[in-house]
Amino acid sequence: MKQLKIAIVLVLIGGLLTTTAFFMAFYTAEVQSFGEVAFERPIETVFPSRGVSPEGLNLYGRPWFSQKIFYFHVPVAEASFLILLLSAIFAVRFLMTRRRDYDTKSRIAMETSLIFVVLTMITGVLWTKASWGVWWEWEPRLTTYFIMMLMMIAYFVLRNSIEDEERRAVYAAVFAILAAINAPISFMITRLIPSSHPVVFQSGMASSNLLPFIVGQVGMLMVGYAIYTMRMSEERLSERLAEAKEALED
Amino acid sequence: MAEEYLRRDPATARRSSLSMRQYKAILRKDIVMELRTKEMVTSMGIYSLLTMVVYQIALSQSGSAFDPRDIAAGLLWLAFIFTSMLGLNRSLVHEKDQGCLEALLLSPIDRPIIFFAKATGNLVFLLIVETLTIPVFAFMFLQDGGYGGEWWMIPLVLLGGSIGVAGVGTLLATMSVNTTGKDFVLAVLMVPLMYPLLLMAVLATSAAILGGDGSVAQFWTGMAAVAGYDAVMLMAAFALYEFVVGA
Amino acid sequence: MGDTCPDIAVEVRELTRTFGVRKALDKVSFELPRGAFLSIFGPNGAGKTTLVRILTTLSIPSKGTAKICGLDVVEQADKLRSRIGLISHNPLLYPDLTAEENLLFFADMYGIDYPEERVRELLISVELDHRRLDPVRTFSRGMLQRLSIARALLHKPEMLFLDEPYSGLDPHAMDILDNLVAQIRHDHTFVMISHDLDKGLELCSHALILARGKVVLSEARADIDADAFKATYRSTVGMGVA
Repeated sequence: MKQLKIAIVLVLIGGLLTTTAFFMAFYTAEVQSFGEVAFERPIETVFPSRGVSPEGLNLYGRPWFSQKIFYFHVPVAEASFLILLLSAIFAVRFLMTRRRDYDTKSRIAMETSLIFVVLTMITGVLWTKASWGVWWEWEPRLTTYFIMMLMMIAYFVLRNSIEDEERRAVYAAVFAILAAINAPISFMITRLIPSSHPVVFQSGMASSNLLPFIVGQVGMLMVGYAIYTMRMSEERLSERLAEAKEALED
Repeated sequence: MAEEYLRRDPATARRSSLSMRQYKAILRKDIVMELRTKEMVTSMGIYSLLTMVVYQIALSQSGSAFDPRDIAAGLLWLAFIFTSMLGLNRSLVHEKDQGCLEALLLSPIDRPIIFFAKATGNLVFLLIVETLTIPVFAFMFLQDGGYGGEWWMIPLVLLGGSIGVAGVGTLLATMSVNTTGKDFVLAVLMVPLMYPLLLMAVLATSAAILGGDGSVAQFWTGMAAVAGYDAVMLMAAFALYEFVVGA
Repeated sequence: MGDTCPDIAVEVRELTRTFGVRKALDKVSFELPRGAFLSIFGPNGAGKTTLVRILTTLSIPSKGTAKICGLDVVEQADKLRSRIGLISHNPLLYPDLTAEENLLFFADMYGIDYPEERVRELLISVELDHRRLDPVRTFSRGMLQRLSIARALLHKPEMLFLDEPYSGLDPHAMDILDNLVAQIRHDHTFVMISHDLDKGLELCSHALILARGKVVLSEARADIDADAFKATYRSTVGMGVA
């Protein structure tokens, strides 16, 4: 019961933080420049006396509004990786101890990670549309996430196709570990291919940008943890129900 | 040096020679069974040919300006991966059929030896099919246009890629053979896991086929990634195999 | 490979196997002296196969311990495997290999010295020498079972486990199996699962009834009255599956 309360509190705080980050992204973070864009015809300036010359107005730092989605997309993406790692850690614990609750934890973590991966894909697609005008591009990072999503779906397909409970848990644990190892490999390998994906980690970010980012990241992780915990308590409840049924049958 | 090793710990030495004997026995058995029935290589070979036919259909509207060499690497590896899934499944079905895997597990064998032996067998069959497929593919699609890289490039990338496919594939097939919907589950598990390997194998193969500026660098980039993938994933598969085979 | 089993060949203490809500075995305990023949009876789903799988190191228990010939089934599984043999209702043989090849393969698995002689010796003793070069898929059920026994005896195990070995056999094959078991009876300790009540009682020196993972009855044959036993057995079958 207490865990549930903590989870609800975390969801609220996390949601608040994420929303704050969102607003900060628009209002307080400095607008990143997408490079300079030249107008086709020079602008006739209305204020020649003010020293604003037409030439100066030809170039205009195009504000990169679509970059704002970054404050949501990257935290979600990183959270999904971290939660996948968590799922693999539980899987390892399961294989070591064969305790069923580790298997349940691993599965729920994988579910949560899948939700986050889907969110990453959706925001990624929105960003692609905003930046390049196309809904989908087979560029490496989007593809990596697509593959990660397929791996997680594969995890659940595997689980569903095995009758025996213990075997199901063992196989799922093995696959979760392989998936968690494979995800960073995929990520690193796609960096070997030159891509059009914006590489945002090259230089330090302006502090006004960094703050909403961190706020958003922390908020997202909290939301993630909360989802995980709520699902866990749901699972525990249904397990206890099943146990009670079994006991009644005896 | 070997004598010193034996003197120090005869039990371990005996153990490793037993492991070697067991490894060879399983490998020999798989090869003998395959030579006798020719089941796997035949079905994999025919499947490969059918894939070629489908390629022809896919490329039939591409026009004369289109050079199949541009996508040859991808087409080849596509054929290899799907053919390998067929072969992997069959190799494990043999063990499951008469419960023979249980008989193996009853014997005093280190579980990873089973993994190595099966993976080696699968690798051999895969390489055979690949070696037969490439000339056929070249004959059908690469009649004009030459070959860009050094002669040793293609065999090297085939070996590197196939090691990864056979290794991870053996582990996954051991799991999928125990599920309902075996082939489907194997495909669903394999394709995402193999993705980085295939991407890099195609990169290297493409560099080898097309040649040109920077192709050698590209080839070695791909090979390095393939080698890295193989090392990491094979270690993981080796460590995890005993859980899978014991469940 | 020289040490023989201690006096207590099988020692099972509080053996439990559960996963989640299902309890396949629930605190099973019993002992078996060397040279004995244990028959395990029970309805489907009682846990008989689970028990034998744990005892043959194919599976691990969740709680409790089991020792075969003084070796723990989990900790010393590796050493134990060279000392036990299993004859199942599956032949556990490769259909496309010949009888000889099958046995030579398993001889390699067990690291047997002078494999060709040993294989020949066994083929003769199960009366399959004349078919040794034929692929196993051409064998009848009875012949498969005989070859399976040869496979199980290759490494001269002291403990033999039989999982419903008589199922599917015609009377002639059953006779051959009976003879073979009788021949090796005195040197070995047996654990057999059987649905055939009469057969099981006839052969055994000890009997065990399992139902829903629990031990219902565990006694020496000498202490058992056949009719009372059968009545107890029938009542457990009525208890159904878990």
